[in-house]
Formats: sequence, structure tokens, C-alpha cells
Amino acid sequence: MFLGKKAEPYYSLKRNSGKGYNMKRVKQNLPSLPIIAYFSVLVGIPLLLVAVLSFLSRDSLGNIIFEFSLDNYKKMLDPVYLRVFLNSFSLAIFTGLITLLIGYPVAYFTASLERKMRSFVILLIMLPFWISSLLRTYGWTILLGNDGLINNILLFFNVIDKPLNMMYKFGTVLTGTAYMLIPFMIISIYNSVDKLDRSLLEASYDLGGGKWKTFFNITLPLTMPGIARGFTLVFIPALGLYFISDLLGGGNTMFIGNLINNMATRGRNRPLASAFAIGMILLVILVLYIYGRVAKNNKESLYQ
Amino acid sequence: MNEQLLRLTNINKFFGNSHILKDVTLDINDGEFITLLGPSGCGKTTILRCIAGLESIDSGDILLYGESIKDLAPNKRNVNTVFQNYALFPHLNVYDNVAYGPRIKKAMDENQIKKRVTEMLELVQMSGFEKRMTHQLSGGQRQRIAIARALINKPDILLLDEPLGALDLKLRKYMQTELAQLQKRTKTTFIYVTHDQEEALNMSDRIVVISEGEIQQVGTPNDIYNNSKNFFVADFIGDRNIKEVKVLEKKEDFCSVKLGSSVIDIKSNRSMVDRDKCDGRGSAILAIHMDKMKISYTQIPNSLFGEITFVHYAGSQIRTDVDVDGEVVTVIEYQNDYDNYNIGDKVYVSWEESGALLLPKEK
Repeated sequence: MFLGKKAEPYYSLKRNSGKGYNMKRVKQNLPSLPIIAYFSVLVGIPLLLVAVLSFLSRDSLGNIIFEFSLDNYKKMLDPVYLRVFLNSFSLAIFTGLITLLIGYPVAYFTASLERKMRSFVILLIMLPFWISSLLRTYGWTILLGNDGLINNILLFFNVIDKPLNMMYKFGTVLTGTAYMLIPFMIISIYNSVDKLDRSLLEASYDLGGGKWKTFFNITLPLTMPGIARGFTLVFIPALGLYFISDLLGGGNTMFIGNLINNMATRGRNRPLASAFAIGMILLVILVLYIYGRVAKNNKESLYQ
Repeated sequence: MNEQLLRLTNINKFFGNSHILKDVTLDINDGEFITLLGPSGCGKTTILRCIAGLESIDSGDILLYGESIKDLAPNKRNVNTVFQNYALFPHLNVYDNVAYGPRIKKAMDENQIKKRVTEMLELVQMSGFEKRMTHQLSGGQRQRIAIARALINKPDILLLDEPLGALDLKLRKYMQTELAQLQKRTKTTFIYVTHDQEEALNMSDRIVVISEGEIQQVGTPNDIYNNSKNFFVADFIGDRNIKEVKVLEKKEDFCSVKLGSSVIDIKSNRSMVDRDKCDGRGSAILAIHMDKMKISYTQIPNSLFGEITFVHYAGSQIRTDVDVDGEVVTVIEYQNDYDNYNIGDKVYVSWEESGALLLPKEK
């Protein structure tokens, strides 16, 4: 559309004209200084140390030898360790898929509730965050253990005659991880569904689309940004969470998080642990990059 | 032309405790351009949504070609809607938007669809825009795509919900003509919702005036404008002087009323007041179109005598306020017999007979 005059940025309004443009920018960013300092000291420096550490090695007592080597990275290519990466990767992918399948309907119906009910349901979804995640993971052992609640109920009603073995399996870890991360998926999708213009759905019905056709042709494509965001928010922590696989997996399946934890503590091999940590960070960056591409494509086609 | 394409019988609709539609009964003929006109919140959009199936009705029936469609889902009704905000699908380009209907209905193969889409885009003069995304279009262009998308299914009725509301004045006037021509060309029945009386008077074959969920009057634009049936319609349509008058007596062919100290005779065919109520004590509403009035300095029978209090020149028209015994009457003239009016002049105000209406005071 033709605009007679280009809109001027707000900071060049008359009342600010005495001050320089750059001064204004600096002033605007001033309040963010503490957080920048916080992150550079408490995240940046440790990360740098990890990166440096990953190129060093250790003696038999676990002391660091200050000598540059790529051995740690070479070790990572060992099939045993690649297997661990694969375990973590598939755990993260399955966690993403499960939380998506369960989270989408929940988010969809939450968004269609009336205002008061909606806030209440969102509160319920967020409620578990108020309790320690470690405690909640222990909760699952109480639920799933051989002498746990589910087995006891099934035994009591004679559905089974000996306890089902539900603990210390890949599926157990998957259940716990999905449970822990599903709120992120629900909230992300909820935001997308909530923003969806209902008149678009009405237009689809009006033009001859049934409920399902409308869902697949209109709702799903238009909530794709929420799905991508949710998937990323679930996928990344699922790669690294290690206490869930410790408690629910019993070490039967090895994941990167556990491996790093074991090497850094019991294994006394901090350089190797650091190399794995860097490997994981690279994996996360890759996922973020893919998400960035998806989000950008969506932005170009979906929004004005 | 088939008579009565669509028939609404005694439709009632509630939202919670509020009674949105009250016994709405209306027949719509095949091929006509009918406008639902009323202030915002009067229920006109709700009627449209009930016809489309986007809103259910609490009682009454909707008959299309004599068959009830009130329980059919919106996708099973052969009516299509042009939404107020156009509701174009933002993730689809123009071609895919227009092709959405036949594709989702699996009504034709891709070759036929292509032919139809091309035809539709030609109809709304948007050929060549197939690959554009909808956010790259101007308001008027989006409007055209919305119409093309709604017409591609060859609906029995096209429902238009204030489609010109978001456009600027000039484009709105242009699109009014376009829409009216499009309707004649496609021979599709249009049901058009608006709160803009000028739009309604311009385009429609018939107008339905609605207020507070009730139909006030159904008629041709001329009928609605000149022979308003009640106080609401008289007040809503056109610029009128609306004055409460005393009814003195009703004779064979006229009715005498008193405004201030002047006694005026209104011909019987311009009076909607019951004969029984003209007993000399009751009062009624006198409504006179401002632009059918005239000011003169010499006495004319059947006129009001007063003093000019305000003169406003607005290009082609002159608006003059005349104080008649404390009641201000506004006169709109396009030319006058005098060079100038002066404030304080004593004048006589008269009007064409067809410009005046005597209406009952109650609704």
C-alpha cells in the first residue's frame, strides 16, 4: 500500500531530538546489563572451561594433564559411545512424538474452553512445576515398581498372578521423560491454537469442509509454529536429563546425560566428560538451527 | 424465477438470557439482492449465521427450496458466506484459497478446478494474482478473492456479512456498483448485511429493516425510504424532522394535527395512525424528510411559521434550522429562490406531501 510518508521510528520523535540516536539505544539496553553479566559469568565461563577441558587428558589418578589432544573426540566415535548418542537421540525423538500426540488434543480443547475454565486448566498443567522434579520421578517408582501401586491393584483384582516388570526399561525412562516435559509442549501448542482465527475454521465449514478435513487443512498447518516450538522445547532437555534415566532406567540403557555424569564423577575422567558435553551441545545447536529454519519459513508464509 | 427460494419461519434465538431473534419470518425470492439493514447488535448478522448453519436456531424453521435445512451442518448447505474480515486462509495462495471449496468437496478433478478458478478470478477481475499470498493483497483485492472463493461452489445463496466495512469510502462506493453488477451477472441470490443505509438503498432489490431482533419493515428501497412503516424505520432511514404532534381529528381524507400553535392537515394515505385514536387527546409522530421541505417568505397553506436560527452552507446543499414555537425544524435545500437567508428572518416552511408521514407514537 502506498504511504505518503515513511513512518518515523519512535525514538526520533521531537522530544528526543536533543539526544543522540546512539545514546538512546545504549540507555534502552542498560537494564539488560545485569542479566548479560550474570550469564557471561555463570554460563559463559564454565562453558569455556568445559570446552578447554575437552581437549586435555588425565593421568591414572584422574588429575588433569595440560596437554592438547583430540583423543577424547576420537573416543566419541567408538561404536559403544555412538550407541549412547543414538539412545539419547531416539529417547528425545520419541519423547517429542509422545508429548505431541498427547499434548495436541489437550492444548486444543484447553483453548476452546471458556475463559475461567481455561485459566484453571492451565494452572493444573503448570502445577507439577511447583514440586521438585526429583520427587515426582520417585513418584513413578512408587507407581510402577514391582511392589508399586499399579501392580498391587492388578494383583488385588486378580488381573495378573505375579507382578509385571515395568521398571528399569527404555519405556520407563520414556514415560518419565515425556511426563516431565509435556507441559512445555501443551503450552506451546496452546499459544498457537489460541491465536488461531476462528472465522477461518468457519470459512472452511462454510465451503464444504467437515470437522476432520478442516482440522488437517486449516488448523494443523496454522498451528505448525507451535508444534515446532513445542518439539524443540521438549527435544533439547530430553537429550540431557539424566536423573530420570538414573532413577527409572537403572542404568540398563545408557544415555549421554548418564554417561557424562558417570565419567565426571565415578569415572574421574573430566576431559572425556567435557568432550561428550560439547558433542551434545553441538547436537542441540543443530536442532535449534533446524527449528530456526522451520520457524522462518512459517513466518514468511503465515504472518504478515 | 422461482418464488421463495428461502423461507425463514418464526425463528427465535437466545444467547443465554437475551432474546436475539424474535419470531423472524421472511421469504426470499430466487435471484434477488436482499439487504438486512439495522444498527449494530440488532441481530442481522445472527440471521445470516443461522442461514449459513454457523449458528443453531432455538425455534422456527429454515426452508431452502421448500426443504428444512435447519439441522444440516454448514458444510452440507448449498449456501456460502463472504465473511466480514474475509477469513482468507493465510497459509494458502490466491489460487488455493479459491480452489479450497471444490477440493475439499472433491467435487471436480484438478483440470476442472483450474478452469473454474480461472473463471472465478476473471469474474472478480483478479486474473494473474493466482500465486500471490493473501497478505500481499490490498483490502479491496482480498474482498474480491473472498467473493470468488464463495461463488466457486455455485451456491444457491451468497451471504455477505458487511463485506465493505473495512474499505475506505471511495473504494466502498466503487465496490457497491461492482457487487450489484456481479449479482445481476451471476444471477445468484445475495443476502447482504449492513448497517449503512446508503449501501442498502443503493444496491438492494428489497431491504429488511431490523431492530432488536425484530423485522420492522420489508420493502423496496423506495418503499422503505418514502413509506416508512413505523417510528424506528422513519428515524433510522434518511434525515427526517421527527416531531411529536397532537392529533386533533381525523376526517374522511385527511387528519388534522397540531405542532406548536400551527394546525396542519396530513392526507390519509400519509397517515399510519389508527382512526380510533384520533379523538383529539392522543399524540402521534410527524416525520418529514428534511430534503423534501422548502422555505418561503410568503404565506402558504399547510405550512409552519417560524424564525431562522441557523444557516449552514455545505457545497451543493443548504441546511437551515427554523424555530417553530420552540421546536427546531431542519430544512435541506439544493437551491433556493432567495440569495441568502438571514438569521432572525420570519419564514414559512412547507413540504411535498409525499415527504411527510404521520406515525403512531408507540412502536
